[in-house]
Amino acid sequence: MAPGKWVHEQVASFWSRYLYFVGIRQQNDQLRLELDSAKKELADLRENASEVERLRQILSLTPPIDWTRRAARIISHRLGPNAALETFLIDKGSAHGVSVNMPVVSPDGVVGRVLRLSPTAATILLITDPNSRIPVVSQKNRTQGIVKGEGPTKELTLQYVPQGAPIEEGEVLVTSGLEEIFPKGLPVAKVTSIGRSGSSLFQLIHAAPLFTPRQLEEVALLFKANAAAVPVAPAAAPVVAPPPQPTTAPVSPIITPPNAAPTGKPQKGLKTPAAIPPAPGQGAPPPAPAPAPTPAPVPAVVEPAKPAKPAKKADKPAESEKKRRKPARTEGQ
Amino acid sequence: MRPARIVFWALLTLAGVWLQNIVPGVDFLAPGLILAMQEEKWTVPVWLGGIWLFIQEGTGSMPFGAGILWYGALAGLYFFGHWLFEARNFLFMLILGACLGAMHFLFINVMALLQDWSIYLDRLGVEAVQQALIFPIEWGLLYLIHHHLPGDPHAA
Repeated sequence: MAPGKWVHEQVASFWSRYLYFVGIRQQNDQLRLELDSAKKELADLRENASEVERLRQILSLTPPIDWTRRAARIISHRLGPNAALETFLIDKGSAHGVSVNMPVVSPDGVVGRVLRLSPTAATILLITDPNSRIPVVSQKNRTQGIVKGEGPTKELTLQYVPQGAPIEEGEVLVTSGLEEIFPKGLPVAKVTSIGRSGSSLFQLIHAAPLFTPRQLEEVALLFKANAAAVPVAPAAAPVVAPPPQPTTAPVSPIITPPNAAPTGKPQKGLKTPAAIPPAPGQGAPPPAPAPAPTPAPVPAVVEPAKPAKPAKKADKPAESEKKRRKPARTEGQ
Repeated sequence: MRPARIVFWALLTLAGVWLQNIVPGVDFLAPGLILAMQEEKWTVPVWLGGIWLFIQEGTGSMPFGAGILWYGALAGLYFFGHWLFEARNFLFMLILGACLGAMHFLFINVMALLQDWSIYLDRLGVEAVQQALIFPIEWGLLYLIHHHLPGDPHAA
């Protein structure tokens, strides 16, 4: 029985593999279509997986306290004859609450800041541009300096670091927050070389940015927490918003001295010599001018036909006051 | 306008923007503007120039007005030059390309100076040379394609 079965299997196999080809061509075509479809799906899934990984990295970026982040997609790098600066375009604009000078970061570190705006897009100035300067502090030795861009494919320079200030190669430079644009503590660059330049008072330090501009696809915009609540921000220089006040009284941005008069006009009085306190060693301030005497009423009988006369008379006390003040001023000098 | 020409100008716009992304700092639409001024009714370059102006203004990093000066100067150079030269001569296009390259260098420098910007001069010089070289070659290619469009009297 076994040899018979074996012969039967061999014959059936030979028949189905080499002779009976009905429908094979159609099946082949169908399988090729399925393979193409599967290949396309695989490419899409790989792309999605890569995007998810990048977005996950952006989401893993913890914004500083009082700041929130919002992801944005880079829609174009330098483009056209008018692209003189190191910039790229993102798909978020003033309609999304973006404002000029808003910080732009990647999972690796600071990328740049918003240079200009349109409703649905914004131009980002990269830190590698020669017009970009960011005050930084070295993470380990806390040495301060200013990071300046030197152009594409060139390293950044760290300026104004005095000779002898402690700084090491490989040290990470983080934002100091002094310019009130970037929050404090964001990584900007890594020191690559430290040297001297002639008789300069400062060290010659180069640093490498922590991102590759051409490989960036998504970035995160950092919003101030109270600014993020407002959907449309004015396209102006960033202004540090005051902290929320417990009272409902309007907050005046002008700081007035406690003894200042409540109305605006008397503030002019602060400019008078009497109001300015004397500097130490300058003696007592000159006496305040006496109140101007009220003009004597002009009898209407003397010149009834000249209505302009009373006005002239009214000016006279001012002139007399001037004359009286003049010698007082020379005395003071 | 014939549909073939509409398709031609639309494709030129798309290809120009794509090429500008690949070679930043070079205007790939400028030869099209010159060709439109040579071969089409006056309304066509006006429309194309308006659309391309907004593209260049939006994608560039200069303040608004740089594109107007750029295309205005290009049109001025063309009108001035075609009194002296044969407008469809390749030599004229070589000179126009050289002028455009020099204008790119000077123009960006002046604009940066006015705004107290620092610019990367090495790259600007390379872009100016690229602009001067690419302009006549691209114009020649576009001229040939335009003359072989269906319905064109020059088409064989």
